[in-house]
This record gives sequence, C-alpha cells and structure tokens, in this order.
Amino acid sequence: MVHPLRDKAAVSGIGETAYTRGTPKSGLALQLEASLAAIADAGLSPHDIDGLVPYFPGGGIAEDFVANLGLPDLKLSVFVPMGGATCVAAIQTAAMAVATGVCKHVLISVGRTGYSGARVSARLQQFPQFALAAEFEAPIGMFAPAQLYAQGARRHMELYGTTARHFAEVAVVTRQHAILNGNVVMNKPLTVEEHHASRMISDPFRLFDCSLESDGGAAIIVSAADRARDLKKPLVTVMGVAEGHPESPASIAQRPDLLEFGLAKAVPRAYGMAGIGPADIDVAEIYDCFTFTVINQLELLGFCKKGEGGPFVMDGRIALGGALPINTHGGLLSQGHVVGLNHVVELTRQLRREAGKAQVKDAEVGLVTGYGDMGDGSIAILRRAA
Amino acid sequence: MSTATAAPPAPERPLPAPTRESQSFWDGMREGRFMLQHCALCGKVRHYPRPVCPHCFSTENSFKEAPTGGAIHTWTVCHHPFNFFFKAAAPYIVALVDMDAGVRVNAPLRGIAEADLKIGKRLRMGFEPVTKEVTLPFFVAE
Repeated sequence: MVHPLRDKAAVSGIGETAYTRGTPKSGLALQLEASLAAIADAGLSPHDIDGLVPYFPGGGIAEDFVANLGLPDLKLSVFVPMGGATCVAAIQTAAMAVATGVCKHVLISVGRTGYSGARVSARLQQFPQFALAAEFEAPIGMFAPAQLYAQGARRHMELYGTTARHFAEVAVVTRQHAILNGNVVMNKPLTVEEHHASRMISDPFRLFDCSLESDGGAAIIVSAADRARDLKKPLVTVMGVAEGHPESPASIAQRPDLLEFGLAKAVPRAYGMAGIGPADIDVAEIYDCFTFTVINQLELLGFCKKGEGGPFVMDGRIALGGALPINTHGGLLSQGHVVGLNHVVELTRQLRREAGKAQVKDAEVGLVTGYGDMGDGSIAILRRAA
Repeated sequence: MSTATAAPPAPERPLPAPTRESQSFWDGMREGRFMLQHCALCGKVRHYPRPVCPHCFSTENSFKEAPTGGAIHTWTVCHHPFNFFFKAAAPYIVALVDMDAGVRVNAPLRGIAEADLKIGKRLRMGFEPVTKEVTLPFFVAE
C-alpha cells in the first residue's frame, strides 16, 4: 500500500539571505527576508501563508509573522524543538498539515545571528534539552556540541580505524562545492594539509571539522502537491519524510550506542514511505555540524556498512561527479549555519535543476537529513515530479 | 581618561543546580560516595536521576552506593575552552567511563597521558570538593 503522505506535499518555494559573518540586521529581520524570498519564489503572496513552523528557540514566533506579514488567517503555529533536526522534521509536520487540508501553504523559516549575536555556548543555555548536560557535564568541562560529539567520533576511530584524513576529505569536498555556490561564508579552497594544521578544538575535532558560526536566514514553503503543481516553479514533492528520537535523548553519555541516534530510527520509515532505498538517491544533503557527523550518518542512511563511513567518503565518491555527491552547496561547514534549512533549499534547487555550476546531472531523487540537540534525527526524500 | 581598567572578574566555574530528582546523587558526592538511583520495584539502576523507571514505570526508588571502578568507553581532549573557567586547565582529557555499576560517568582524567588511552582501560572515580556543597568526579588509573 502506498503511504498516505507520499508525494502529497511539495516544497514549492525556497529563499535565502546572504550568508555572512557580521550583519547589522536582527535574526528576525533575516528570517523575514528569507521568508519573503521563499514566498516570492513560489509565486505566492505573504497573505497566502496559513501555517508556520519557525525555528525555536531563537528567532521569530507566530506573533512576529502575523505582525510583519499581515497574515490574515493563520491556522497552524507549531514549534519542532529538535535543534539541528528541526528544519527537516518540520517538513513532516508541514506535510501532514497540507495533506490533510488544515493548511494550504506552510512557511518553515530560520534567521540567526550566530556570528554577530549570541555565540553557540550562550545559545545553548536557552535549550531545556540541554539541562542534563548543564547539570552533569558542564561542571566537569564538557558542554559544547564539539566536545560532546567528539567522544563519539573518537570511539568510531578506535573501533573502526577511521582517521583525520577521512574527516579532512569531507571538509575539503564541501569547500569545493561551496566555492561553486558563491553565496557562502568560506570561499577560498581548503587543502587536506590546511585541515590537519588547523587548531584542535576538542580532539579529534579540529577547527575545520566544525561548522561555521554565521549570520543568515533561510526559508521554504511546503504546499499541498496538487496546489503546488499550479505554482511558479517545477514541482518537487516529498516522497518520504520522518523524524527519530534516540535512546537517552538528552544525554549522549548515557546512550547505549553513541553511534546510533535518532536518524537510525527515521531512515527505514522514510525509505519505506518513499518506496525506495539508498541506491535510488542521486544527491544527498547531509547535516554537517561536524565532518564526522556526515560519515556517521552515511552509515545510518545505508550508503555503506557501520564502520565503513571513513573509506566511503574517499576517492571522489562524495564530490560532484562522484557516485553520491553530498552537500553540493557547501553545507554548514562552508556555506553557513542556518540549522540545515540551507540543505533543504539546495536539494530543492538540485531537483529543479537550478543549482548552476554545482548541478548534479539529471538529479531526480535526493535526500536531506537533520541532526541535532543530543542526537535527534530527521530525513526527507524529495523528488522532481514527472 | 587615564583611569586604569579594572581587572575582569575571574570566570566562575559552572556548577550543578541539583533538582529534587538528583539531590541524593549530589549529597552522596559530597560525602565521597557514588550514589545511584535504583527502582524500588524492578531493582534496575538508572542515571541520570529521573522520577519514573523507564522499565516498569514505578515512581518508587532509592539511592544505593555503587562501586567506583570502570573502564574507558571513549574520550576527548578539550583544547578550546568554551567556558573561560577551563582556559587555564586546557588541554584536558575527559573520559567517558562504563562504570561497573552499569551506568556511564563523564569526568576529567588525571595522571594518564593521551597516548596511553584506549577503550577498556581500567579507571577509578575520585571525588573533588569544589565548593562547600558541590563535589565533582574525576578519574585516575585503577
């Protein structure tokens, strides 16, 4: 039986601001600017938006959107508090809303001043999901994601022989892709040697294993597929979508397997809904808060076996022209950190064949992941409609 | 203006704020005892402390003293001090340890070189008072 949500929703509009380090604008202003761009891209008016899933905490809430966009009849306002897994998980929420007729057009948006405003350590204080880490791990000197996730990366290296060379490959390829995009924070080539020479943040993570702190906004519109067909841009539908929550969700330290997190639960459901598997994916935008996180997710996504993610990324496989091009826009590592909504924007562009120099030839089906908090996961499989 | 700039205040150590669930754990630490929460019905241990047993859903529980030995599950070496309090200590090793009691503890590791770390290496938890109320764990070789 075909899943009732399969291909019932579409990503009908995409928008981004410039990605920078430094801006006089507020996070809300960036979020609204990207939202207006996405609404225009879809060929809609702001008054057509009747559902909202804004990134939270941090950024605009329903009241801000009604006040700024004059939304005449907002029918749904939802938060999906999953950190970096939020934006892709929000596609599931939005798809349910438009497929059931509760809403016509749902706006998912992020705006953040991650460089010029509150930096990462300060932002985390807002998250109730980090309360356990604040009580048990911050006092002993562990609090930032770079520290908490480093322990999983170290275990992967010890168990499977994964190396800094593998990490570097993810950073270098992502940078190559960023340069093709143009709207990126990091626009100079990166070499393996430069990666290895960058300062250690929390071993095994060096500076160039870590995602950017940047300023910017991104937004997408999710519409019912039958409505989106009549809109401005080529139809890109949501074939499969799922979120997953790991065991010990608020503490990585107590999780039975540090290398199995929410995405492991979401992946079979998303593939099941889409009726496809990893071999059918033409392009993948993988949440890249850290280089190693990409390697780990490639395993959970079934592109390779557990423990083989390091060798998998080598030899051009994940670069444009390779078997599985990933992060064709430069990702969080090189484009900008808008909590992964830029990954959804890029996948939509790829499937519309609007990705310019970074276009994956004949891209028909792609996936995008989210990864956040202490291991929540999300995945959406999108396709270009026939 | 020629007034000297006042020295910035020393950064404060982040301290735990015990909850009604975790108070017994922190009381134990202060007494040099590793106290873990056990379900009163099914007997299973759980950490970090929480109100309901996820195995049998009982809300009845008690804290029992646990052994302080364990083995390295993984580690990181913190170079960048995300909190300025730890700047002077960096780089420092934080070991995640599979305690013999069946839970994990994350704590700084002392007296062992980075090159000597490996999964399974035996460690013992120690107790370091940092304020009158708060004692924090650390690890040394067993």
